[in-house]
Formats: sequence, C-alpha cells, structure tokens
Amino acid sequence: MTSSPSETANGETEAAEADADAAVEAATPEPHPLQEFADHVAATVGGEGAVVFDTVKVEVDSGDWVSALTTARDEMGLIFFSWLSATDWSSEVQVGDPYPEAVEDRIEVLATVGDISEGRRVTFSTTLGKDSPSISSLVGVYAGANWHEREAHEMFGIDFEGHPNLAHLYLPDAFVGNPLRKSFPLLTREVKPWPGTVDVEAMPGGGDEEESADGPSEENPEA
Amino acid sequence: MSAFLSDLFANFWVSLAGKLLLVALMIPLVGMVIGYAEMKLSAKMQARVGPYFAGGRWGWAQLIADGVKFFQKEDLIPEEADRPVFKIAPVLVLISTVALLVVIPFGPGIIFRDLSVGVFYALAISSLSTVGILMAGWSSGNKYSLMGGLRAAGQLIAYELPLVLAVIGSVMLAGTMSMSGIVEAQIEAGYPYLIIQFVGFGIFMVAALAELSRIPFDMPIAESELVMGYLTEYSGFRFLFFFLAEFANMFTLSAIAVTLFLGGYWLPGIPEDVLAYAGPVIVLAKTFLLVFAMIWFRWTFPRFREDQLQSLAWKWLIPLALANIIITGAFKVYL
Amino acid sequence: MVVDQDLVRHLSESSVSVELQTEEMTLNIGPQHPSTHGVLRLVARVDGERAFDVQPVIGYMHRGYEKLSEVRTYPQITTLINRIDWVAGYANEIPFVVAAEKLLGLEVPERAQYIRLILTEMARISSHLIFMASYPLELGAATPLFFALRERERVLDLLEGVTGGRFHPNFNRIGGVKPAYGSGSSTRKVIQDLPAGFLAATREAMDRVLEAVEELELLVADNEIILARTKGIGVLPADVAAAYGVSGPNLRASGVAFDLRKVEDYLPYHLFDFEIPTGENGDCWDRWHVRLLEIRQSVRIVQQAIDGIPSGPLQAKVPKIIKVPQGETYVRAENPKGEMGYYLVSNGNQGPYRLKIRSASFSNISILPWILEGVLVPDIIAILGSLDFVLGDVDR
Repeated sequence: MTSSPSETANGETEAAEADADAAVEAATPEPHPLQEFADHVAATVGGEGAVVFDTVKVEVDSGDWVSALTTARDEMGLIFFSWLSATDWSSEVQVGDPYPEAVEDRIEVLATVGDISEGRRVTFSTTLGKDSPSISSLVGVYAGANWHEREAHEMFGIDFEGHPNLAHLYLPDAFVGNPLRKSFPLLTREVKPWPGTVDVEAMPGGGDEEESADGPSEENPEA
Repeated sequence: MSAFLSDLFANFWVSLAGKLLLVALMIPLVGMVIGYAEMKLSAKMQARVGPYFAGGRWGWAQLIADGVKFFQKEDLIPEEADRPVFKIAPVLVLISTVALLVVIPFGPGIIFRDLSVGVFYALAISSLSTVGILMAGWSSGNKYSLMGGLRAAGQLIAYELPLVLAVIGSVMLAGTMSMSGIVEAQIEAGYPYLIIQFVGFGIFMVAALAELSRIPFDMPIAESELVMGYLTEYSGFRFLFFFLAEFANMFTLSAIAVTLFLGGYWLPGIPEDVLAYAGPVIVLAKTFLLVFAMIWFRWTFPRFREDQLQSLAWKWLIPLALANIIITGAFKVYL
Repeated sequence: MVVDQDLVRHLSESSVSVELQTEEMTLNIGPQHPSTHGVLRLVARVDGERAFDVQPVIGYMHRGYEKLSEVRTYPQITTLINRIDWVAGYANEIPFVVAAEKLLGLEVPERAQYIRLILTEMARISSHLIFMASYPLELGAATPLFFALRERERVLDLLEGVTGGRFHPNFNRIGGVKPAYGSGSSTRKVIQDLPAGFLAATREAMDRVLEAVEELELLVADNEIILARTKGIGVLPADVAAAYGVSGPNLRASGVAFDLRKVEDYLPYHLFDFEIPTGENGDCWDRWHVRLLEIRQSVRIVQQAIDGIPSGPLQAKVPKIIKVPQGETYVRAENPKGEMGYYLVSNGNQGPYRLKIRSASFSNISILPWILEGVLVPDIIAILGSLDFVLGDVDR
C-alpha cells in the first residue's frame, strides 16, 4: 500500500509505523497537495497540522490560542476572519447521533481564517474541558470575532476572557441553557422520534445496499 | 336671467357662499385628479398598470374609493400624543391650501379676491402648512415624527427665502404685488416673465418642491429612513387631510408659478374677449403641465440628504436669487 | 476702574466655547422598519441628525438551523438551508451538498455540475437584481425597483421551470441534482432533465438581463443625487473588512480582487472565462457598482455554460439511505452575499453530528457598529442598504 513517493523514502527506516499507517493511507494514498501548507502553518504557530477532506486543520494548545492566531494573521497573511464556533463532543448524547465509538467528552473550539489573495484557509482548533470552558478572546486579533464569540458563548457556554460584551446575541436575555450542547434537549426530538429512519422507506424493487442500488442515472439515457 | 344672476352675486353673502362652495369643492376635486394622475403616471413610468378596476375603466374611481376607505378607518391617536395639537395639525395644513386659492386669478376678473398684496399673502400662507407639519411631528409623541417635523422646520427656513427672493423679480417687473396685476402686466409686455425670469422660475419651482416636501426634498417623510416622518402616527381622515393637502398644494403652488412666470390665463394670439371664457382652461392646462413635471421628478429622482438640501438652499439658490434680483433691477432701470 | 482681566478672558472664551447643548435621543430603527430588510433592529443614539453609536440587535429570526440539522437527515437539510438566504436560496444548497459529497467521496456527474453552476449564477443574478431594485428605493428613488424586479422575474421563471420553486428550489441531491424518478421500478420511469427549451430560453433571458442592466446603469449611475448620496459614504477599507470577515461584493468593492469562484473548486468555475470586478474606494457607490458589474460577469458565465453543457447523467450512484462517513470538512462557496460555508462533522450516520453554518450576511453586518459610527441618519440607511444583507442569512 505504500504507493506514495514520500512513504517509500521513509519506508525502510519506519517499517513498523508503515504498517500502522496502512489503514490511513488506504483512504489517502498520496499526500494531499495542501499537506505542505498545513505543516508549514503548524510549524509556524506551534501546533499539529492535518488535512482532513481538503480542509487544513491545525490543532493548537488552548493556552496558545491567541498567540497562534496572531502569528497566523501577522506572519502567514491570514487576515480574513471567516468564522468561529465549536463542537460539543459527547458519547452520550440527547440530540444527534451518538458517536459510534467512545469519544472523549470535550468542547472543540474552531476558528477558520484565510487570506484574501490565494484562497488559503486554515481551521484552527483547540480543546477545552466540558465544565466551565474558558478561553481567551480573539477580538483583539480579529475584530470580527466579536459576534462569533458571543454566539459560541450562548450556544456552548464558552467563556471568552477579555471579550468586551459577552451578552446574548440571538437568544433572549433571560434564556437559560446552551442550546448547541448535545445535552440540551430538543423538544421536537422528545415529541417525535428520530425522523430519518421513518422518512426513507425502501422503494419497491430498490435495495438499500450501495452496490445493488440502481443509480437513477442509469435510467436516464438522454440526460 | 343673467341680470338676475349678476344681481344675486352682487349680494355679498350669496357671493361668499358661492365662493366657499367652489373652494370647498375644488380642493378635493383637484386633489383627486392629481392623485389619480400621480398613480397613473407613476405606473406608466414604472412599467405597471396602476389603478385598473375601480369604476369599471382605467380605475378612475380609485381615489374616491380611497377617500371612502379613509373615512371608514379608525381615528387613532397615540397615547403619548399631544391631543389638541395632533388633531388640529392636519386641518391647519389643509386650511393653508384653501387660503392659497383665494388669490389665484383664473381669468380676467375671475378671482376669489384680488388682494393688492396677493404675492405677499400667497407666500405667507404657503408657509403655514409647514407649521402644521411641525405641529404634527411634535405632537405625535413619536421619535420618527419628531425628526420629520424638525426636518420640515429646517426645510421651511431654508427654502422660504429662495421662494420669496425668486418671486421678487416678477414683482419688480410688474410693479405690483397683485396677482391679477402681474398677469395684466405680462399681457401688456407681450411676453410671459419666464423669458426674462427663467432663473427665478427655476428657483421658484425647486423651492416649491421643497415646500411641498416632495422627492427629491421629501426628507420630512423619507419613508426609508423615518418610516413616514410626521405622518407616521396619522390614520383615517386626518391622514386623508394631509394627503389631499399635498396634492392640492401641488396645484396651488403650480398655479402661483403660472401666474407669476407663465402669463397666467393669457396665451399669445388669443383675443381678449375669448380669454374671459378660456382663462380658467388655460390656467388649468399650464398648471397641470407644471404638476406633471413635479410628478415626473418624484418618480425619477432619489432624495437628498438633509445637509445637502441645506447647502443647496444656502449656497446656491439664495445667492442665485439675489443675483437675479440685482440683474432684474438693472434691467428695469436701464431698459 | 480696575478691570478683572481674568473675568474678561473667561467671558470672552465662554461665549465661544458654550455650544448649544442638545439632548441625545435613542432611536430604535426596527425591528419593524421599511429599510431593515426584515427584522433587524438598530439602536441608534442620535444627536439631532448625527448618530454617534449604532448597535445592531439581531436574533429576531433565529430559527436554530444548526441545532435542527442535528436531528435531520442529509437530504432533509437541503430543505432547511434553502431558507437561510432566501433571495438566493439555490446558492445555499451548493456548499452543503458539496461538503457531504466530499465526505462520501462522490464524483458528481459533469452535467449535474453544469446545471448547478448555471442555476447558482442565475440565483446570483436574481439576488443582485433585488439589490439593484431595493437600494435606490432606500435612497428615495422608487422607479428602478420595478425595472430590476421585472428582469428578476424572468430569471425566477426559469429557475422555477427547472426546480419547481422560485425561492426555495430544494433541487440539489447529494451526488447530483434532482434525479430521474422511479429508480428500480420499470413502471415509473420518468425522465427528468432540464425542461425542454430551457437552454434557449435562458440564453434569451440573459440577453434581456444585459439590456436591463444597461438601462439600470443609465437610470441610476447617471443620477447626480445618487452619486452625491453614495460617493464617499460608508468607506470600508480592505483590511478592516477582512478582519471583520466581510466578504463577497462588499470586500471586492474595497478593491480586493478575491473571489472564491476562482480559488475554490466546489463547482467547475475554472472552465469559464470571467473577471472579478472590484471597486476603488470601498464606499456605497462601489458596492452598488460592483454588483452591477457582477451581473454582467454572471451572465457571461451562464452563456458559456449553456454553450458547453455536456450530456450525461444527473446523479451519481448513491445508496437509498445516505450515511456519510466519519470526518469533518469545511466547504465554502462564493454566494451572492459573500462567503457561505458549512463546517460539517459527520459520525457516519444519516445526519450530521454538527453543522456549523457560516453565512455571509452575519459577518457582513457585524461591521455595522464600526462603519456607522458618527454618520448621519440618512447615511445609516444608505450604508445599511449597500451592505446587501438578508436577515435569514444573518440569523440562520
């Protein structure tokens, strides 16, 4: 499976690791064209870089959050603030599908920044604990982080230290709870069970397996 | 029969009642005609059809239907409003329009009252409507209305001056302030004053648009900024009063412009005895020509900003009007 | 007589320095207001005509799509996200289905990609035409509205002909566009492709749009008052715009030639020849003009796409029940309003584990407190309108 040139170069010295990587490589046989950029960013800001599905993702330590993004802005030219949000990772969820394998309970803060010339973008991520998550505010680095942090604050309960006005953005002032946390119950879900399975009933003659399913395209000779 | 009629109208009270009736009928009639014209013309300019169904054809009864609708509406007065002022403001606006009609000559001798200071009277009365607007804005107890009212006041002060100054040229040429006197002076001169007073005419029309708060000077209303400005809280027949007053005011101010600059009821080549009958028609035709231009502007231009409007008045119109007076004076003295 | 020099100086100075003290007023613009495009509320502290502090209040239309999409299947979500930026509903679907296809590793058939591209550009034209219509109205000119909306109607008719919906097409499927019906059953074979005559009608409509844009330019761009109201008003420097995440035409008006259609590969834009119009000063006028020029470029793209559209299937092979493999990705697209993207986290199930919706208008109007500081009340409206936002796109 070691088909990529870079892997064959390391193949002999890291034979043991090559086996372990084989499964990963099956999905991505060649290093992604963005891998080099990801590594470069990761090295500059001090984090771990990866390319997941064409998205450059760099994980940094939550303590280095502001300094990493400041470096990205000043040295990498990533001056465009795209968005900031978070993901609530939970194995026992009330809303959404439970993760198939156990995941560590945590809140992942994500921020995507980019340049405005070549279209490079990096999604920075950092991990916070689930109980009273707190992180420094990016408002001083990217002014546009203001509203995004207010949104993440009300939706996930993340405290952004140094934010000028961490008030609710969407929700009424008196609203209690953090709606985008997985533990926040969704009333529709309580009333009606998971609609996905009900919705897609098998059509007569059609199978559910990928291989046996007749692609509609096959019956479309003209299209 | 005619002797009886002239005897009858010689009676002061009968003639007063007749004139009152005529004015009372004229305001809604003119308002409706111009309102309908505005609807149809704007529709034409915007690739629409406009009123279509009311009345069976061309939607001619649209404005009547609208009027009836307004009378059916509840007369809402906001809790915060200054009630007496709120109630009297639309009346004041409409009264000023009615009062303006008094001095407009519609033909030789066809005039409600030929005041010797007709021009002065007309300009004084025309500012009264702005006072009504300011009252409406202040009394509504609404911030948008207040801002609209204040803008109207600022506009009044800024555009009253060019309006008055623009008229002075014609008054100087005619040597009289009587409205019918000015028309007669133009007949005597053989040309409408527009030919010499084109600057004055232009300034007068711009200032008149501002007095009317019509686009491009509709900041007191400015529906995209101030919702409806001083009209925001008005409903029902009080709103109808403003509505009528706007259209009737368009008519009266245009009629004043016709009198002062376009020769009033006179057209070159028409013998004097015909003028006595054709006069009103000629005045109406000329007036509606100007009204049409006002409608045309309204649906073509965007609106100015408040400071741009002020600088237009103070930096351009007033100096221009003053220069016009000086030149007219020189013309009068040396020619 | 002894004159107190200090008192004289004090009096002379005070007569100069005492300004008219005016009361400040808090003006609530919205949530119901003719010019806020929905339910935006601006709390403006004004001193006469000048506003010195304007704070936008949003959230009146928050529908919780991010939470809702966690309990929906992927095909159901396209219905929701149509309603984000409803004046260009079609364009909203693209980045989402592309993100799902990326995780699935699907190759979308070429014809489907072309159809997506044509419809996206038509959505852009209709969205920009709405802006062309509404912006002069905010400045007080009512007539351009009707001219622009008339042309938009032609475009919407075509969109409706293909998708069945004017505002909410819901036409994209994961793996392609709305497929031929009746897969697997020989009795219900209905071939669905573009409606007959669509391409010819589109070509004709595009010619009309070009003429209409010409007409609009004459009507609006030659108007002295419009120029006086928009030139030099609401100047937005490029670096500030970038820091606030202002994207799309608003960013390009500030002189940045950056268009995601050129740098991202969500649709085959690299096959077509088009330019990125930019402004010079980043003022309201440039924002208007850039959109006008963009309509022309979009027409160019559509014309080329119509000429080069290949034949072939409309749908890739996908299973009946779509389970998107584990993974996460961010796909962004150049929507009419700016950068629209979806950060999709999947755990291998029928619905997303987390869907972050990055909408353009949200970031675009986050600039408001900065750009509206110290402007006149009429300019608030002029600047607000020039940013071209939709409340559904702000609140999601």
